[in-house]
Amino acid sequence: MTDEPILEMLSVDEAAARFGRGPLPAAPYHDPAWWEREREAVFLRSWIHIGHVCEVPEPGSFVRREIEFAGASLLVMRGRDGQVRAFHNACRHRGSRLVDEMSGKRSKLSCRYHMWTYGSDGTLLSAPDFERFHVAREACALKPVATEVVAGMVFVNFDPQPAQSAREFFGPIAAAMERLPVARATCFTEWTYEIGANWKTNFDNFQENYHLRFIHPRTGEQALGPENPFGYPTHYGFLGPHRGQRLWKNPDPPPIPDSLRLGYARVGELACREGLDFPKTDFKLFPCFHVVGLPPYQNYTHTMYPLGPDRTRGQVRMYWTAPPADAWAAFSREFAAVAIRDVLSEDREAVEASQQGLAAIDEVHFQDHEVLLRHLYLEVEKRVRARGKTAALAEVAA
Amino acid sequence: MSVLPDGFAALEPFAGLWSAPDMAARAALRDAVGDAERQAFHAAMKSLVRPALERLDGKPLDALDPAERLLLALVLAYPHVAMAVEVQGGAEVRHAALRRHMRITPEISPPA
Repeated sequence: MTDEPILEMLSVDEAAARFGRGPLPAAPYHDPAWWEREREAVFLRSWIHIGHVCEVPEPGSFVRREIEFAGASLLVMRGRDGQVRAFHNACRHRGSRLVDEMSGKRSKLSCRYHMWTYGSDGTLLSAPDFERFHVAREACALKPVATEVVAGMVFVNFDPQPAQSAREFFGPIAAAMERLPVARATCFTEWTYEIGANWKTNFDNFQENYHLRFIHPRTGEQALGPENPFGYPTHYGFLGPHRGQRLWKNPDPPPIPDSLRLGYARVGELACREGLDFPKTDFKLFPCFHVVGLPPYQNYTHTMYPLGPDRTRGQVRMYWTAPPADAWAAFSREFAAVAIRDVLSEDREAVEASQQGLAAIDEVHFQDHEVLLRHLYLEVEKRVRARGKTAALAEVAA
Repeated sequence: MSVLPDGFAALEPFAGLWSAPDMAARAALRDAVGDAERQAFHAAMKSLVRPALERLDGKPLDALDPAERLLLALVLAYPHVAMAVEVQGGAEVRHAALRRHMRITPEISPPA
């Protein structure tokens, strides 16, 4: 199956007619003041992927996540009731950081400063001489962050009352993701990076194929052919703020190196043995999450966390439903990860160079096959403008 | 006595250097060694990687004996070297500078 029933698939001309043509201001890619508005309007009000349930397999398991755009340290923890929750990593007494470890397992969390002690569901269990505080114990639970699990992935939203649940926000994409290996993952391969680029500059790189022949002359040659020298997708897909693309299939690809052929030789068989369905997938979920599924064993997620107006942290994960059963599985996974990491590494210089010049130009130009970049730009802009209006109205009302 | 299973003695000269414990270490090894070392390992492994996989096939990883585990480590180092030699070729050194920014998380990345 493909994503076609889920996203509205448009030809390049139909997409351009829908979303427009012409230059757009460059400031949203570098301006600190715009970034601050974007942070408020988008990142503090959207569902953000921060982990997977397999990282907290048992009651008391936790991971710590530093979310720079929110200035927050979060604990993602599984409670005794089996539910996965996220809390601020801060004691409700006077804000002390509760946990330093990146991950672990505890039945209780105690603040070292005055021994306020919390359960795995965040409730305050005990605090020395608590009656002197003259406050209800319930008011002193760890401060929660809206948390939802979709397809095994943990999403948080810093809005105390999100306008939509994550499942509502993702719409039918949520059900599609439930069919991916990630939904049943027990482990993953991960690599992370930091890059000197705005999060949109970085994400945009993965939203167009225009650069393939120039930046990936070796690793991308399978995707190029005489009848499609840029390897453009055949269709672009849209669902509200989310988007995707249908890749062109090269009818006469150049031969791949022998070892790569060996690396992919048994992935179909292994996927069947592991009971995996690998639908062809490309979901670019608003704001900063990319779910990619190509042939078996080339599924990965890519999350781009903004660190500021011109810096981003990326996290790439290949999720697996079980540890490798044997040498072939281990070899095939290693090959897939090495190949994908090689490709993604190649974009770095171009993305950073692009960021460095953005302040010198007033406008950016998107061609028709960069319509996904335009779509992300417009979706962000819409939210920033709407938030600006809301804030202005609130100011007037006050 | 060979440290590798029968039939793989030709790989013994590489067993010390190329038996890194996890994916992060194998990726770092690819970056750290010189082109001549990558080429030599690639040349030795290329015709033996499939026989090695067939030798290890079907056996759970935790049931491998020490010689088989060492052979598996060499098999898992091969994708890194194959990408360097067969795909990146002359661009490998420049590519390594970009790749180093992609830090593999060692403690959670399988396998073996």
